[in-house]
Amino acid sequence: MGKTVLIVDDSNTMRKIVSRALRQAGIDFDTILEAGDGQEALDVLSSNQVDVVLSDINMPNMTGLEFLKAKSEDDAIKDIPVVMISTETGADIIEEAKSYGAKGAIKKPFTPDLINETLGALL
Amino acid sequence: MEHAQHIIESTQEIFSSMIMLEVAAGEPFIRNNEMLQNSISGIIGLAGATKGLLAIHLSNDAALAVTTAFLGMDVDEIDEDVRDAVGELANMLGGSLKAVLDPNGSEVQLSMPSAVHGEEYSVDCLANAATVSVPFSFENHNFTVELQLRQEK
Repeated sequence: MGKTVLIVDDSNTMRKIVSRALRQAGIDFDTILEAGDGQEALDVLSSNQVDVVLSDINMPNMTGLEFLKAKSEDDAIKDIPVVMISTETGADIIEEAKSYGAKGAIKKPFTPDLINETLGALL
Repeated sequence: MEHAQHIIESTQEIFSSMIMLEVAAGEPFIRNNEMLQNSISGIIGLAGATKGLLAIHLSNDAALAVTTAFLGMDVDEIDEDVRDAVGELANMLGGSLKAVLDPNGSEVQLSMPSAVHGEEYSVDCLANAATVSVPFSFENHNFTVELQLRQEK
């Protein structure tokens, strides 16, 4: 049975690119959901069964790190794996993301192979 | 001209991996604040230990071609999708540059990307900033990536 992924990015273009990369990576997703910032992502997670989240870091309203922190404090959704996809991959930021439960990070620009490699281990 | 090679490598990597477009780099130069016409610029600011901005300047036609390739569907006017795509290009270029300037990610901050477009406008150099521009071409289109940097003491 296919899985559900949530793509979180304030750029509509980037959400489309990530969707395309997921299809090209050959990962079996039935449903791709989208959110424009961390707060929207929390709202989606509260009302949908999601298997994995791909999230940007720098977003207005609620950043990717703020989203991770809020998610980690909600027992209903804290165990959903999150991989950061961002231009921000400095060691300090990744360390902070992992302290809030992120399972990995993919730097933009990325290839479908990298997406496959990172998500394959989580699904 | 210190960062010209990095601009070339980053731009080619981004276009190749994200847009599936091969772009050729020309000779780096220093832009003289000349007006940009019928163009759109994606701009991202840098702050902290190093201040400045990175901009990608595309003609409207180049921007439409890039966005069409980005999205996999025809785009024929400068709309929200084009502004978003150009801003995202600036975002990725800025991120690539930041990784070089600040490997740990704690000393240089990136702004949210912006997109400016119009029939005629200018994007001017900061005072006392070192500046370099690199021209690129793909198919029948051209664009420029410009970097202005000032190291803070």
